[in-house]
Amino acid sequence: MFFALTDEQRALGDTVRDFLADRFGLTAVRAVFEDAAGDGHPPELWKAVGEQGWLAVCVPESFDGLGLGILDAQVVARALGAGVAPGPWLPTVLAAEAVRLAGSDAQRAELLPRLASGELVATVALRGAGRGYDADGVAVTASVPAGESAPSAGTGAEAGVEAGAEVGLLTGTASPVEYLTVAGLVVVAATEPGRVAATSASAGAGAGSDGGSDVGLYLVDPGAPGVTVTRLTSYDGTTRLATLALDGVRARRLPGSSTAVLDDLLRRGAVLTAADLAGIAREALTRTVRYDQERIQFGRAVGSFQALKHQLADLHVAVTMAEHAVMYAAYAIDAELPDLLLAVAVAKAKASQAARDATSTMIQFHGGIGYT
Amino acid sequence: MDLTFSAKEEEFRADLRGWLADNIPAEWSRPGFWAGVPEDEGFEMRRDWEQRKFDAGFAGIDWPTEYGGRGGTPGMKAIYDEETASARAPSTVNALGLAFLAPTIMAIGTDEQKREIIRPLLRSEVIWCQGFSEPDAGSDLASLRTAGVADGPEIVVNGQKVWTTNASHGDRIFTLVRTEPGSQRHRGLSMLLIDMHQEGVEVRPLRQMSGATEFGEVFFTNARVPATECLGGLGNGWATAMLLLSFERGASGILQYTSFRRSYDEIVRAARALGRDRDPVLRQELGRRMVELECLRYHAMDVLTKVEQGVDLGSESSMTKLQWSETYQDLFETFDDLLGSDVAIDAPLADLDVTALQAEGFWSRSVTIWGGSSQVQRNIVAERVLGLPR
Repeated sequence: MFFALTDEQRALGDTVRDFLADRFGLTAVRAVFEDAAGDGHPPELWKAVGEQGWLAVCVPESFDGLGLGILDAQVVARALGAGVAPGPWLPTVLAAEAVRLAGSDAQRAELLPRLASGELVATVALRGAGRGYDADGVAVTASVPAGESAPSAGTGAEAGVEAGAEVGLLTGTASPVEYLTVAGLVVVAATEPGRVAATSASAGAGAGSDGGSDVGLYLVDPGAPGVTVTRLTSYDGTTRLATLALDGVRARRLPGSSTAVLDDLLRRGAVLTAADLAGIAREALTRTVRYDQERIQFGRAVGSFQALKHQLADLHVAVTMAEHAVMYAAYAIDAELPDLLLAVAVAKAKASQAARDATSTMIQFHGGIGYT
Repeated sequence: MDLTFSAKEEEFRADLRGWLADNIPAEWSRPGFWAGVPEDEGFEMRRDWEQRKFDAGFAGIDWPTEYGGRGGTPGMKAIYDEETASARAPSTVNALGLAFLAPTIMAIGTDEQKREIIRPLLRSEVIWCQGFSEPDAGSDLASLRTAGVADGPEIVVNGQKVWTTNASHGDRIFTLVRTEPGSQRHRGLSMLLIDMHQEGVEVRPLRQMSGATEFGEVFFTNARVPATECLGGLGNGWATAMLLLSFERGASGILQYTSFRRSYDEIVRAARALGRDRDPVLRQELGRRMVELECLRYHAMDVLTKVEQGVDLGSESSMTKLQWSETYQDLFETFDDLLGSDVAIDAPLADLDVTALQAEGFWSRSVTIWGGSSQVQRNIVAERVLGLPR
């Protein structure tokens, strides 16, 4: 039994934390946060993120990555969460995961090294505004371009098109999409009503869809004709959002994609988001404890009052449980454990609750300073 | 990460599982079975079970063989906890002796104490009680007043202990006694090993809210104990008590998880039988309980890892206690919400026997009190883990 991070994994987390403390502390974060007109994507931070290999964690070594798993990625996500670091790390990692899981060899070779280095910023557009995180939440539709039949095995190779390459015309919207304004590549989920009849192979992949059409993942160039990007204002200046509208946009399909791959991708996103939240929760708790050790009222440190102590103790338990749950869920994905669906749900639910409790307690236990 | 057990440990699991399947009577698994057995008879059945387990080599899993243990790994102990709970083996009749007294004697006992006490304890031939709490010394243990005065080679004890587990069935009691007259707080205490079958010891059972009488009061009126029957040396009682309580820290929570998960599944079964399984509010509640239960399971793996690595869990064990006890209590609040006013009916509902769950619901109120109340545990976490000022 070894339910713990290795020394290497701990060191990875320390590296991210130390870097942020030295080079991108809260003053820098606040400057990004308050720069409403900016793109929320400080280049010096991104350069370091790429150089340090934090985008390369899940990319195979054969594509210039580190060849590690979600367990390692959650270490980075937790540290970035603790430092409330802005920038498109998570969406770029998820886009790379989509390419890794469902891309053709040619697509992997073309994109993964550039995504791993940070040269190419990417994001994912997987659901329509206000909709759920599953196949039913997809609000983009893919159709087969007129005059081109949906390829089936062996017939896809035409002049100028690589074998196995497939193309769709995408119409619909996805929102909110993280860091869309700075992305050079968007992985878009689209339902494929025409495809069910055209191919039976992907529909039989054991997807979680309820008898509807399958979902494919497409590589969209945000500069392509028919793409409209509209910035959204958000309370959270450390995560920039936009709406992606597509009107007959020609896009390459990831040939291995399916509803099952979408679900897998969403689970990876959920665990990394849970890790981000666990990092935020731990940092909020640590800062609150530090403040309440020093803040004097009624002639004593307010942290000596049991009304605060007991709530902070409960928070410590909750945050620790969230950390355990995130670690377990990440490992469940990497090792394909039989209870991975439950594990991901537990991690996301627990980390979300812990982060909300820790941050709201942080505001309350900082008193007036917490709200101003 | 590596969540597997070694081949040897898995072999042990297979052996144990087979033995449990062959030796646990089917009727023991029937819901409400134990509730229907008179308390004294049930105790003797469980004592007999402990002896059979010992004779088959499934006692003292991680204890050295010289004490009758199996000499196994912490992983084997975790497997034992998991397997016995999922096989619905009855809980031990000698919990306090096994968890606290025996490891303390192994650590600081005299050779004679090691020889005389441990093996009969493990075989449950001698049932041990813990004499710590008093009417005016619950969470504030150091305010205890039970007094011992030397009289030649013996110590004469007067005073009262309360909320003593298994008091009615106890043979001996490890008792924290103030042996230096006039001493204050943590000083002047001794851990005396007192024979309960003597004239100066009187036991009165305490009825719990569930109707059971697992707890009792123990009165000492000129009870006598040889001065040699002292653990850790006269006057060292507080240090001995702290060492003794520290052995709780090896407990990972896997036993609790396995047993609570079974109760959870029974509550879900009850929800289905009552047609409430589509109720969105109840489903959300059950979902929340599942989140906490699964977190307890992951936490147990974390604790086991630390134990295997020899890490002293220290005050972190307070977190384990908080997680399992609060989760357990919340689970039975959800059970109350499921049954609504019918929770008060002490009889099977239609075809559904929930009496065992109802008894558990009462029991769940106790777990946030004994073994250090949740409030004490929160103080420990806040002060010793988070470093908040006293």
